[in-house]
This record gives sequence, structure tokens and C-alpha cells, in this order.
Amino acid sequence: MKKTIWPGALTSYLILVISISLLPAIPCPAQPRPVNYKLEVELLPPAASLLAKETLVWTNLSQDYIPDMYFHLYWNAFKNELSTLAREARQEKYFKRYRTKEEAWGWIKITSLTTADGHDLLASATFISPDEPPNPHDQTVLRIILPEPLGPGQSIKLNIEFQAKVPRNGLRTGHYKDGFFISQWFPKPGVYEEGKGWNCHEYHLNSEFFADFADFEVRITVPSELVVGACGEEIKKAEDRSAGKTTYTYAQENIHDFAWTASPRFIKVERWFKGEEEVSPEEYQQMAELLGVDIRDIKLPDVRMILLIEKQHRHQVDRHFRALKAALKYYGLWYGPYPYRTITMVDPPFRTGSGGMEYPTLFTAGTSVLLEKDVLTPEGVIIHEFGHNYWYGMVANNEFEEAWLDEGINTYSTGKVSAVAYGPGRIPARFNGLPLSQLFKLPAVYDWQLGRVISSPVAKLDSVLTSSWNFYNSGSYSLNVYYRAATSLFTLERLLGEKTWARIMRTYHQRYRFKHPRTEDFIQVVNEVSGQDLNWFFQEFFYAAKDFDYAISYVETRIKPEKYRGIFDDLPTVSPEHDRETTNQTAVSKKDKSRQKIYETIITLRRYGEIKLAPGYNLKLKVEFEDGSIDWKEWDGQSRWVRFYFEKPVRVKRAVLDPDGLWLVDTNLSNNSYARRGPTTKIMSVTTGLFWLVQNMLITMSSWL
Amino acid sequence: MGAISFLKSGFNRAGQKFKLSVYLWLIIMVVCLILVLPVNSQIRTSLGHLSWPEHSLMPFELNLVEIFLVNQNLLASYFNFFLVTILLTVVLAVFLSGGLFGQMINPVDRVSLPGFLAAGCRYFGRFLLSLVLFIPFLMVFFLVFKILSAPLNLWSARAVSERPVILAGWLSLVLLALLWPAFKVILDLARIFIVAESKKVIASYASALKFIGRHFFPLWGLYLLVTLAVVIISAIWLAICRLLSAAQPGSLFVLILFGQAFVLFRLLTRQVLIGVEYSYFSTGKDS
Repeated sequence: MKKTIWPGALTSYLILVISISLLPAIPCPAQPRPVNYKLEVELLPPAASLLAKETLVWTNLSQDYIPDMYFHLYWNAFKNELSTLAREARQEKYFKRYRTKEEAWGWIKITSLTTADGHDLLASATFISPDEPPNPHDQTVLRIILPEPLGPGQSIKLNIEFQAKVPRNGLRTGHYKDGFFISQWFPKPGVYEEGKGWNCHEYHLNSEFFADFADFEVRITVPSELVVGACGEEIKKAEDRSAGKTTYTYAQENIHDFAWTASPRFIKVERWFKGEEEVSPEEYQQMAELLGVDIRDIKLPDVRMILLIEKQHRHQVDRHFRALKAALKYYGLWYGPYPYRTITMVDPPFRTGSGGMEYPTLFTAGTSVLLEKDVLTPEGVIIHEFGHNYWYGMVANNEFEEAWLDEGINTYSTGKVSAVAYGPGRIPARFNGLPLSQLFKLPAVYDWQLGRVISSPVAKLDSVLTSSWNFYNSGSYSLNVYYRAATSLFTLERLLGEKTWARIMRTYHQRYRFKHPRTEDFIQVVNEVSGQDLNWFFQEFFYAAKDFDYAISYVETRIKPEKYRGIFDDLPTVSPEHDRETTNQTAVSKKDKSRQKIYETIITLRRYGEIKLAPGYNLKLKVEFEDGSIDWKEWDGQSRWVRFYFEKPVRVKRAVLDPDGLWLVDTNLSNNSYARRGPTTKIMSVTTGLFWLVQNMLITMSSWL
Repeated sequence: MGAISFLKSGFNRAGQKFKLSVYLWLIIMVVCLILVLPVNSQIRTSLGHLSWPEHSLMPFELNLVEIFLVNQNLLASYFNFFLVTILLTVVLAVFLSGGLFGQMINPVDRVSLPGFLAAGCRYFGRFLLSLVLFIPFLMVFFLVFKILSAPLNLWSARAVSERPVILAGWLSLVLLALLWPAFKVILDLARIFIVAESKKVIASYASALKFIGRHFFPLWGLYLLVTLAVVIISAIWLAICRLLSAAQPGSLFVLILFGQAFVLFRLLTRQVLIGVEYSYFSTGKDS
């Protein structure tokens, strides 16, 4: 067997540059990329299958000699009930996300795998199970042995032919009748990490993906009646009328995945995002000042926005574009201009199991026929999935191992964009697909408000930095990596201030654009830009599974007795501070002593959570009295509890721990305040509402019996 | 007699014996208090002294969610308590039905709490048995519903867009709402026979089925008419409630009163329905 190892990266790079130069220029930074793909695929709708060829050039950018290659064959996750994905799905107690019927299995089969000179590599290929616990039945990672170890800077060209069956209602990919959403569909090498080897995980239920940046040229042949959308730019379209087929050619530099979709029920709408129209000069000026950068560095380029929307949702076209424009504007201003020429948003074909997923330059955002105006669906999904172009697409962390770096940061970013573009969104109430807002309205909330509440129960279940497939369950995975991580970031923003935080986020994005950062890189940027050592924060809130809960535990007020019973000598036994307070009060009110009551108030604060504040941080306690006076106390939060004593001629009206609301990550904010008169009307309203509901339920039940 | 006459007769009878609705209202209120007080206690303990500034950190509803998430162990215990109470309420409901039918069918206009409770005791055994014997009818009901809704399910399963799925879902619900009275009248008629003719349960079912065989459509139609009236009045009530909730001072008190008026209305509707069925029964039994 003869291998094709080219002289070095320079040659491959020259060829790559020449081939790319034939395509329209796309303004992406020229950085060495280890992979170049040329794919040809034909979709056969009756059999729901793909016939494809892949030409892959992979360059060893490390200093290692590499004897083998690992490939992801993701669709084998849908092959049978023994795949890692299926096994994990069965173990889930709360969510059954992956279900399929006998005829709906999906798979991918490589029929030929050779080097450029025809050396067959398939014979020695084996499926491996790199993750714990190992699963010998999983076929989502394929290992091939190279004819010779690949040296530093050397490249190998592989020709692959494969067939694939599209799973029905799969996970993030699939088909339903003649609607297709095709992702993770081609053999894709893992990421080679110098000194460590291949990073190539199995397809898990609770994890997404990780791949190297690459340049793609993809030819997609489909029946002509299907409307097609794909990552990157469409550079050619050729229709074969006699065969009733059309071939679309798409190309895109510097992305790490390629997805496409086809359905006869799509409407294709295109509009432009124009940076000069969407952002006012004042906004540019404000942003430049906030970020401390030149205004020229934040100017936003024009972007072609493509929407593929199902005909049934055509009335929502404007809603889709408004949300995408907001996302392009604020992600662009805050983190850096969107570097690609196009962005394609897809309302995924019905029942393809692919709603709400991100791919570079393309994302899906499922919607519903009947939508209220003040419920921010699909807006929230559009903003979130577009945002993944920044967090996952460009700053390409390992989603298997550190999912929070994209999902958590992007959930935080989504919340920010939604808040500034729309304000709070109403929580939807639906029954059988019908909105119930005419009957009753649930509250309008900001993402961070809802996120911090729903994520609090999983604080002690898993740490945010657990590997995706090792979370307790899907709920713990999503609540931790999306919402708890985002809540921690909102907390950091409040602690460090808007300006510092904006600069941290921009620095991190700019520094790791088109790279694969780890959590340590993020922490390093936070420490560097803020000038503080915040390692403790990440240690407690990201690396550990602990909760943070400080509370006002008890407030007691009583009238101070005029006389104390017992035996007293002449020596004072109270603390100097207490002595001073009482002496002053005594001096002021000596004349009125017989008329004026003095109230003794004791406020007990407790630390219910395991996480302690780091030295140097204090919690503030604001105490308001009935006469309008305010006392402030501070607690370092190190002990399990502390008591504060007050003596005043009036009672406490309210007390609030952390009155600025800095510590959003507190798992129970409801115990952070005390008011002598609580929200009685609200409690009454809730109780009577519940009472009424139960009454009606009982009447309905009794009328049936 | 036309439908209006039966409705009028049923309404008059229910009006004369309105006290029955008040008894039911009070009894159900006691059960509700048992069910709701622990929740209220938890809310008051956790949020009774919550400081509620003008610009609060989150909406009050999220405070509620938060305290229940934080106290999940309590929630699990409460859920068990709720289930047990509901099961006991099933038994209570059978007793109340006995009292209701007994007093509604009683020719004496005057009703009293002892009389209501006595009727409940008198008919409890036979009503419980009638409920047990209704289970096979329930199975037939679900079977018929499954058969009739099969085309809708097929339409929904083969849909390539969302609209047919939503529409099929709603049509299924309408079908369920239309079909349920067709079976519920069997139980009601059997109970009318038990009370009016002092028959045993199986004999009552036999008579009821025979009666329904002759008068199915008028009975079903009357049931649907009353149901439709309830739906329309409920919709109007909801619309008024929405207007009220927008108002500020004192609206809570008005809403509470309005809510209880609705509860009484629903109980009265049940009386009306029994009255209508009995009125039809009285007219039709000799024909």
C-alpha cells in the first residue's frame, strides 16, 4: 500500500489557496487550517438516503508523528439500540428525547476509503469507544491506521465514498416524509491535540460537537422540487431537467461543520443586514467608549440574511428577520463583527427533530403556527442559535468536555440581546397547540430571572464543568451548562461592573476567535482584564457542585425593658460598641425616656449554602426603620451565621441582604429580605386563585362520579 | 314538551332547591381548605415577610417557583397528601351525589341539611355500586372514542405541517365533549331510577338503558344544551374577570366574590341538569 504524504503544509496550503481563489472572496482571517473538504452528495428521498464522496486533505499542524486518524461517524448513533446515544436515552428518567421506530433507524457506511494513490485504509479500520464507560457496540468513532506516521507539517489526502440512511425524527438531524435536515452526516476527523492524541468522542445524548476549522466545498444534488439551504454561500446552481435534479454548490472558509436542508415546503426569503442603517453613530460612539476601542474596529459589515421558512409560518417572516438583525447588531457590537457574508436561518422541516440547533453560518429555529406577540418565541431561539456563531462557531470550544463555554456564555449573551432588543418576554401558556393568553397571562420575565430560578435545584447535583455525557441526567446537563453558568456570568458582570465585563467578553472573543479555548483561557482573560484574582469564583461556581445561599434567617423586635431584673454590680459588661450605641441613645433621649419606647431588634443572617465568599468580599445588609432612617451592616460571610443588634426608638420596616442584587447566583433570593408587612395582597391573590382552581377541579370530579 | 319546557322545569326545580348547591359549596369548601391550607402555610412561611420594593428583582410568580423548587422534599410529601385527599374525595363525591339526587327527585320542595345528609347515607351503597357498574360503560366509551378519533389521529400522524395536528387535537377534544354526555346520561338515568322508583342497581341500569334506547337523542341534546349554556356563561364570566383584574383597588375582594359566585353557578348547573333529566324522565317514562 502506498501512502500520499505531500511535502508539507506549504504545498497543501498553496493548492488550497488556489482552489479557494476561484471562489468569491470571503473575508475570513487567513490562519492555518488542518482540514480541507470537498464533498459531493446526492439525496435520494424515496429511500431517505445519501450517496456521497468526500475528498479530505488533513494536515498535521502539531509536532507529533501521528500513526492513525479518528473519524466521527455520528449517524451510527441512530443505527440500533446498543449505540451509546440509544443506551443513554434509555437510561433517562425524565426525558425521552430519542425514540424511533424500526424503519426509522439511521446509519452511515463507508464503502471506500483510500489514500490519493489508491491505498485501501478501510481493511484495517476499527470502531473504537474512547469514552467511559466503554461501549463495544457503539460505531460512532472509527479509527484508521495510516500507512506511515504523519510527520509535523505533512498532509494526507483521503478519498472516501459513503452511503447513509437519514434517521427519521432523529436528534438534531432527520427526515419526515420529503423534508430533510442533514447535519453531522459525513465522516469527520476528530481534533488532534499535540502531545495528547485524538480528541474524538462518541455521539452522546447530552453533548454536542467539536471539530477543526476547515474549508468546505460541497455539491448537493437533490430533486429539483426541493428548496435547499446550506452553510456558507451558494456559488453555483445547475439543473438537470431530464433527470429532474438540481445540483447546488456551496463554499465556505474557516468553519468546522457543514449542515444543509431540503424541503418542498420551504419559502426562501433574503434580506440584507446593513451595519450603517442598523447602528446609529451615537451607538457606535457609546460602544467604542465602553469597550475602549477605535470606532473603526466596531463598524459592522453588511450581511446577507437568508430565511428558509415553512409555508405554514410565512406570516412570521418579519419576526424572524427582526430578531436576526438584533442578534447581528448586538453580538457584532459587543464581541466583534460577524465575519461571514451570509447567515441562513432555517425553520426546520416539520418533525425532523432538528429545531433549535446551531451550525456555522446556518442555524435552525423551530416555531409554531399560533404565536402571541409578547411571547418571545421564536425570537429567543433565533438570537440564541445565531449567537452560537460566536460561541461555538468562531470561539470553538470542546462541546463534549466543556459545554458551558458555548452554551453558558451564549445563554448569557442571548439574555442580554433579548433584554435590550425586546425587554422581558411572557412565559407561554399553551394547551393542545393553542395559546391560552386570552384566558390567563403568565408573567413577563427576563431570561436571567427565569434561568436563575430554574437552575437552582441542580447546583448540588453536578458541577458546571462535568463532561457532557457524565451529567446526572439531561435536566442537570441543560440547567447547569446553560442556565447556572449564565447566572454565574450575570453575577460576575454585576460584581465587576458593565464596562469591565464588556471588555472581558470582547477580549476573550477576539483572542480566541477561530481557536479552541478551554475554561482556563476564559478565567485567565477575566483575571487579566479585571485585574483581580477570580479563580475562587470559578472554583466554587464552575468546578464544584455546591450551592450559594445567604439569607436573613430571623428578625426579632421587642420593646427594650426599662428595668432589668437581677443583681447588678457597678462594672459594665456589654461590648464597647453596644455601650457606645446605647450611651448615645440614652444621651439623646434622656428627657423623653419616660415617654419614648426603645426597640431592640436582632437580625440573624445565615449561610445555608456550602459556598463561602472569598476573603475581601462582603455582603451588605440594608436595614430601613419606620422613621426612614437606614443602617448598613457588612458581613464577610465566612461563618455559618451572624447576628446584628439594633436599638432604635422605632421598629424595623424592612431589611435586605445584598440590596444591589449582585449575587444572582444565590439559589434562594426569596430568603434575602424581610419586611414587617410582606406582600399580603399578592399572597392572598395566589391563594384564592389556587383555592378557586381546586374548587372547580373538585366540582368537575364530583359531577362525574 | 319541547326542550325549553324541560329546561324551564329543571331550572325551576333547581331554583326551589338552591340550598343544595349551598350545602355542596360548603362541603367542597372544607375539602378545598384542607388541600390549600398547607400550600398557603408554606407560601406565608417563605414569603410572608418578603420585602417587595417597587422595582423588585423578579416577578412574584418566580418567588413562588423558587420557594417550591427549594422545598422540593415538602412538595413531594404534599403531593402524596393531595392524592390521598382526592381519593377520599371520590368517596365523598358519591355520598354527595346520593344527597343531591335524593333531594332533587324528592317531590317535597323544602330541603334541609339533615334531609340531604340522610339521602346521602340512604343511597351511598347503591350509588357506589352504580359507579362500579359504570366502569364497563366507561371502557366502551373510551373504545368508541378511540375508534371515532382514529381518522383524526391518522390525519395528524401523516401531516406534513403543524395545522392539521392542532386541528386534529381540538377536534378530538370536541369529540370527547360530545361523546361523554352520551355515556354520562346512562349513569344519571340509572341513579334517577334508583331514587325515583327505588330500584336495585342492576334493575336500574336495565331500565335506564331501555329508556335511553327510546329517548337517546332528546336526552343527549338536552345534556349538550345545558353544557353549551355553561360554556357560554363561563366565557362571559372569564371576560368580566379579566376586566376586573385590570382594575386596581379592591379588585381582589370583588374577584373572590365573583369566583365564588361562579362556583355556585357551576353547582347550580349540576342541579339544573339533574332537574332537566328528571323532568324528561317523568314525561317520557310512560310513553
